[in-house]
Amino acid sequence: MGDSVAGVTARARTIGVDLPLSVDFALIGHQESWRAAADVLAVLRGPERTPLPDDEIKDILPWIPPRAVCHVDIESIAGANARGLYIDSFIPPDRLEAAYVHENIARVRKAAACAIKAGAKIVSLGGFSSILIEGNFDQLPERNDTVFTTGNTLTVAFIVQGIQKMCALERLNLSRSTLLIVGATGDVGSGCVRCLAPLVRRVLLSARNVERLRRLEAELQADGVQVEIATDLQRFSAEADVVICAASLASPSLLLGRIAPDAIVCDAGYPKNLSPTAEMLRAKVFFGGLGQITGGMKFTPDFHGVLNRHPFPDVVHGCLLEGMALALEHRFEPFSQGRGFITQERVDEMETIAARHGIYLAPLYNADGPLGDGLDARWNGREDESMVERLSRTVESSF
Amino acid sequence: MEPLIDVNCSPMECTSLSPSAPIWQDILAQAMTGELLAAMNYTSLSEMCEDPAEVADALEHSECERGHAAAFAAEGRKIGVDVTNNVDAKHWKRLRDAFLRCITERDFFGCLIVQEIMLESFAVASYSRVGKVGPGSLGQTFARIAAEEGEHVDHAMAILRAERARDAQRFDDKVYRLHLDVMTTLAQMLAKECKDGHCEVCHASCVKPSLFEVSLSAAELRGASLQQYLKTLDMLGIPGEVTLTWVTQLPV
Repeated sequence: MGDSVAGVTARARTIGVDLPLSVDFALIGHQESWRAAADVLAVLRGPERTPLPDDEIKDILPWIPPRAVCHVDIESIAGANARGLYIDSFIPPDRLEAAYVHENIARVRKAAACAIKAGAKIVSLGGFSSILIEGNFDQLPERNDTVFTTGNTLTVAFIVQGIQKMCALERLNLSRSTLLIVGATGDVGSGCVRCLAPLVRRVLLSARNVERLRRLEAELQADGVQVEIATDLQRFSAEADVVICAASLASPSLLLGRIAPDAIVCDAGYPKNLSPTAEMLRAKVFFGGLGQITGGMKFTPDFHGVLNRHPFPDVVHGCLLEGMALALEHRFEPFSQGRGFITQERVDEMETIAARHGIYLAPLYNADGPLGDGLDARWNGREDESMVERLSRTVESSF
Repeated sequence: MEPLIDVNCSPMECTSLSPSAPIWQDILAQAMTGELLAAMNYTSLSEMCEDPAEVADALEHSECERGHAAAFAAEGRKIGVDVTNNVDAKHWKRLRDAFLRCITERDFFGCLIVQEIMLESFAVASYSRVGKVGPGSLGQTFARIAAEEGEHVDHAMAILRAERARDAQRFDDKVYRLHLDVMTTLAQMLAKECKDGHCEVCHASCVKPSLFEVSLSAAELRGASLQQYLKTLDMLGIPGEVTLTWVTQLPV
């Protein structure tokens, strides 16, 4: 017992007291699966204690109030650095449905209050945190000098870059392709539409809200885009050969149905959109919206590979990277807020900021592992963990 | 020091015809035992205090807790069961011993941390949950007492926050030492199953597996208690990432 007391007290000092009270940025997230949540709790319990059984985790996690889990230190290739906090809202992975929306908004509000209390100058909202708040920024607590960004602009940038890269890898001519966007009227979906519609032959837009679909259709038609809308994926008159899945689904349940046999499919959902039972044998699926911070990222305590469960080092969801990039740039402003304001110009601006600090599109991968040229650059000189170890974890990630 | 209410544990038969009465009997027995233990703790605290105002305050709290214990006993009578108590039951005795160690060390703030932050968090949260599902006046009594215990926590909070402001690291180290002692015992009490034998308070077999019959569960009571504890530590100003680690390291 004496050892554990000393150990925990020492760690408490390291993460709680000796460090400066104020941080540059905060990242608000939640775990995508019970497996991911179990791994986070296992790190907190420490290696000397037996991991909690699955049923205990499901009993305990819903009761944990939102709070900081670890510090995050990042470095820019331009020499800047920034210190942040990862704050988990502890939304249970099986409570993302609409039935829990008020409970979950309350959790995000409390997580936001933690970020404000910690003195974060900018806060990125990850995953459902962003979806819950993007139309409700007025519901965030009084925020003094703290600004919030959904991070969706950089997510859009990495989705678009990923589509272009995959098309190049697969030798698919984007200008002749039919693009389907599922979740087209959401902030990320509509941003992707605005960036990619001028580059493709035809656009198919799918979403649940027909009024929003019609408004987006009218906007695109005014720009001369050939566009078709449907709330039912089976209703489109043509097959898509490029697909972006950006729907706000509580679990991976999307079945695409009619798409071209060799379609390129970007699953940009958090949680993932595509159902594991979806039969797309020849489709080229990749996980979109992910970037890599090449200057380096360190967690204290060490959640390396636990919060960022990707088969490559220092890969993070674009929404969280946006806050990091803005912190490194010392631009503490709410770059992405609301829904439907993401334009090509804003995406270009955010890409430039990110690239200046060495934040680029992550190597492409999917549930089966790395894709294409991802193999060439996968470790960035770091080989502290084998590919087998990385892929033995699920690819779900809160980062 | 002798408690004012007989704390000898004598197994009682349930005489109520209500099928859920034996469950309420055990819930009331645990609550009554906790209240008597709190009363004993405050009486001990009063004997350590020198300031007459603090002595009076501690004795007033002790009387209040005895009143709570009597209220739980009365609720038992209303449903036709005798509510026993046993402050010498193994878990409760360990909690009492932890408090008495603070008394021995004349550690006033340690006493407050054990009683007001740890034991009262448990009481406020679990009584609130029972208050929501308890029938009639039994539920109302639990809810009322939960609110009163919450006021005790608020009272102690101002004192403890001022103490922490003097030396946060020293204060947090003290809370952590007491956490390991007290919260480990509470976590064992709150475990979904009593794996190390009878708790010596339930009148027959362990009540936990039957709690679902009165719309409760051991997991819910544990979750609510730990949540309340974390929130109370937040109010004290201890960093959330630190207290999260403490709580996740508790036994299950």
